[in-house]
Amino acid sequence: MAKAGAAVGLVDSGKVPKPLSWLLNYSRKYSLWMFQWGLACCAIEMAAALAGPRYDMMRLGVIPFPASPRQADLIVISGTVTDKMVPSIKRLYEQMPDPKYVISMGSCANCGGPYWDSYSVTKGVDQVIPVDVYVPGCPPRPEALLEGIVMLQERIQSEDMSERWRGEHWRGEPIVVGS
Amino acid sequence: MAADEAPRSTVDPELVERVAAALGDDVVEAAENYADYVVRVKPEAWKRAAEVAETELECDFLSFVSGLDWKPTPREGDDKAPSAPVQPQEMTPGVTGGTGRFQVFGHVQSTRRGWGVTFKADVEEDHPAVESWIGIYPGADWHEREAWEMYGIEFSGHPGLRHLYLPTEFEGHPLRKDFPLLARAVKPWPGLVDVEDMPPEPEDGSAEDGESEGSGAEEGGES
Amino acid sequence: MSTTGPRAPLPEVEVDPAAMRHLAEAQMNLELDTGDMILNIGPQHPATHGTLRLVARLDGERVISADPVIGYMHRGYEKLTEFRSYPQVTTLINRIDWLSSFANEVPFVSAAEQLMDIEAPPRAQYIRTILTELSRIATFILFLGEMGLQVGALTPAFYGFRDREYVLNLIEGATGGRFHPNFNRIGGLKDDLPWGWVAETRTVMAKILESCDDFEDLVAGNEIFQTRAKGIGIIPPDVGSAYGVSGSNLRASGVDWDLRRDGPPYLVYPELDFKVWTHGDGDSFARYWVRLQETRESALMVLQMLDRIPEGPVMTKVPRIIKVPEGEIWVETENPLGQMGYYVVSKGALGPFRTKIRSASFSNVSILPWLLRGTYVPDLVTILASLYFILGDIDR
Repeated sequence: MAKAGAAVGLVDSGKVPKPLSWLLNYSRKYSLWMFQWGLACCAIEMAAALAGPRYDMMRLGVIPFPASPRQADLIVISGTVTDKMVPSIKRLYEQMPDPKYVISMGSCANCGGPYWDSYSVTKGVDQVIPVDVYVPGCPPRPEALLEGIVMLQERIQSEDMSERWRGEHWRGEPIVVGS
Repeated sequence: MAADEAPRSTVDPELVERVAAALGDDVVEAAENYADYVVRVKPEAWKRAAEVAETELECDFLSFVSGLDWKPTPREGDDKAPSAPVQPQEMTPGVTGGTGRFQVFGHVQSTRRGWGVTFKADVEEDHPAVESWIGIYPGADWHEREAWEMYGIEFSGHPGLRHLYLPTEFEGHPLRKDFPLLARAVKPWPGLVDVEDMPPEPEDGSAEDGESEGSGAEEGGES
Repeated sequence: MSTTGPRAPLPEVEVDPAAMRHLAEAQMNLELDTGDMILNIGPQHPATHGTLRLVARLDGERVISADPVIGYMHRGYEKLTEFRSYPQVTTLINRIDWLSSFANEVPFVSAAEQLMDIEAPPRAQYIRTILTELSRIATFILFLGEMGLQVGALTPAFYGFRDREYVLNLIEGATGGRFHPNFNRIGGLKDDLPWGWVAETRTVMAKILESCDDFEDLVAGNEIFQTRAKGIGIIPPDVGSAYGVSGSNLRASGVDWDLRRDGPPYLVYPELDFKVWTHGDGDSFARYWVRLQETRESALMVLQMLDRIPEGPVMTKVPRIIKVPEGEIWVETENPLGQMGYYVVSKGALGPFRTKIRSASFSNVSILPWLLRGTYVPDLVTILASLYFILGDIDR
């Protein structure tokens, strides 16, 4: 986020006109490129949501093509996060360019889930990276994940790009699906 | 189903004979346990038991090798709020007995004859060590690494005992009974019954009774 | 590179034509004399079925050695079971092999029942067997589609997911959960089958049999797939059993061993008429082929059982608080991924004292260091796909 120097451009100076902001957000929300990251059982539900002809997340614009985080703007952490895996998650999250969104899918990623008392499980991925949407369930149905994505898309539509660029309190309360 | 009419032990008598003939004095105690034949051997004969299993008993399939810790979990908290289902506090060994705290056990099967044998051996508490099975069953490589990682049992002859599951900086041997699960020490076990009441019915005006079945499948410690 | 002036002439070398071939080879080795490269595949990688990390040392495209690093999904099951009561353990263990969840509960529940000396009623046994076979079909259909995906064909994956949805519909109709059904109870099952389920299952099994024919034409009959998979990753039967490779992997190497037929009798398999499929080659194609035939066989078994479900209760009388008497028991079953067993040690308390979980994929993957020596990197992906492991099953 640029802080020093003169304000360059609309976003930097904070004066993005509403139609332009609407257009930017509209195009961003319907072309979310999702990073392929499936950890555990929730990954199977996520794959069913993506590849299954019944749930078909791709019609929402969420395309799971990027295998590299550098081209992705959405990551869905689906499955149990262990202490051994955390450095990889942190590194891959940092490699994603802004604006990026994180959906924590399943109770293991939300809070440790059924393994909350294990010696090797991280109690929730939000201890490591900031989360935008929590999708509870064990595993959540594919429809729950779709709901989470739709709610995220609604939030993206109402985002203010310049606030986000300047890093000013743009992150609201995380969405919890089903609440 | 057949389990009710069949006798409690379904071990082939030929297997029992062959084990006695091949191992002889190395067997400390043996018992037929449901469909499994459990043989406790002397710790020095651990590797020989595997050799005998592969040659005399036709056991070509390695199922697993692991450890047992007979010490009861140290209690944390009081009796009213135990952190886990309460286990008996005396240390007693299981089938075919045992001396001491640690045992190493492994199961091998025969795909030709259809029988299986579980071998057990006592190991010392301070410096648990036995010989490795890796020369006979190469699959024992990973099983022994896991047993070392979880219990601290050394396997002599293994090319490199290193961490299998846990990160390299992990300290301690998790499956030992004195390795505490810190999350449980902090949060007591809710027990067997539902801790949450059912929400009241708004239309009726009368609240539903909160008790439900209790010993149903409830996730442990779900808050 | 200088562009000014002509290049200096190359030195003249007198070469015997017969030696030309060797010289060319020697020249190639000299030019391409590179060091080994360490390629880290995973833990996040589209082709590793989860969080498996392979540290491969490569010479060009050929693998010299591959060391799997596992543990990225280690959740500490064996320790956790010591801190839960028996019904709570049932909840937990169906997440070990998360594709065929119902099948994971069966050996544990059967172990607890045998230690308590109770038996589930016949209707419950039949329904358990039907649901186990349905979960086997669900797992294998996904495999049939996904192996095509790993080899490079996108279409079979969609077919696989679509057909799996039909079976998951059935499992959800009976148990309430698409996977992780949590339906077994010690002493039987939670509920009876809903009305109309049997008729629906018959329709779905007919569809599954059709899909198997589709897969046989589309994937197994495809010459590209056959070239990619035949002769790749051959596991000799004696090496396989010494490593503990089990299930379809071992049967594809020619070992005629299936716990449903050869092990101690469990569920209703002794009353069923089914064939155990083996293949002599032991390569990746054989593993695909065996699983394809087993899917058909499972669908036929389900159709047999649907005609014969006895009437009766689905749960025996068990005390409200389940206390399993003191004892030890080893129960092993033929799960979709291989042989899965539980060694349950009970001290008469509300929860187990020690549970050793013998999971199939752990042993299947332990053969990888031996198997991957000398293979090419694309073949590595085919081998991983054909062995069909699930990370939760490896790491527990």
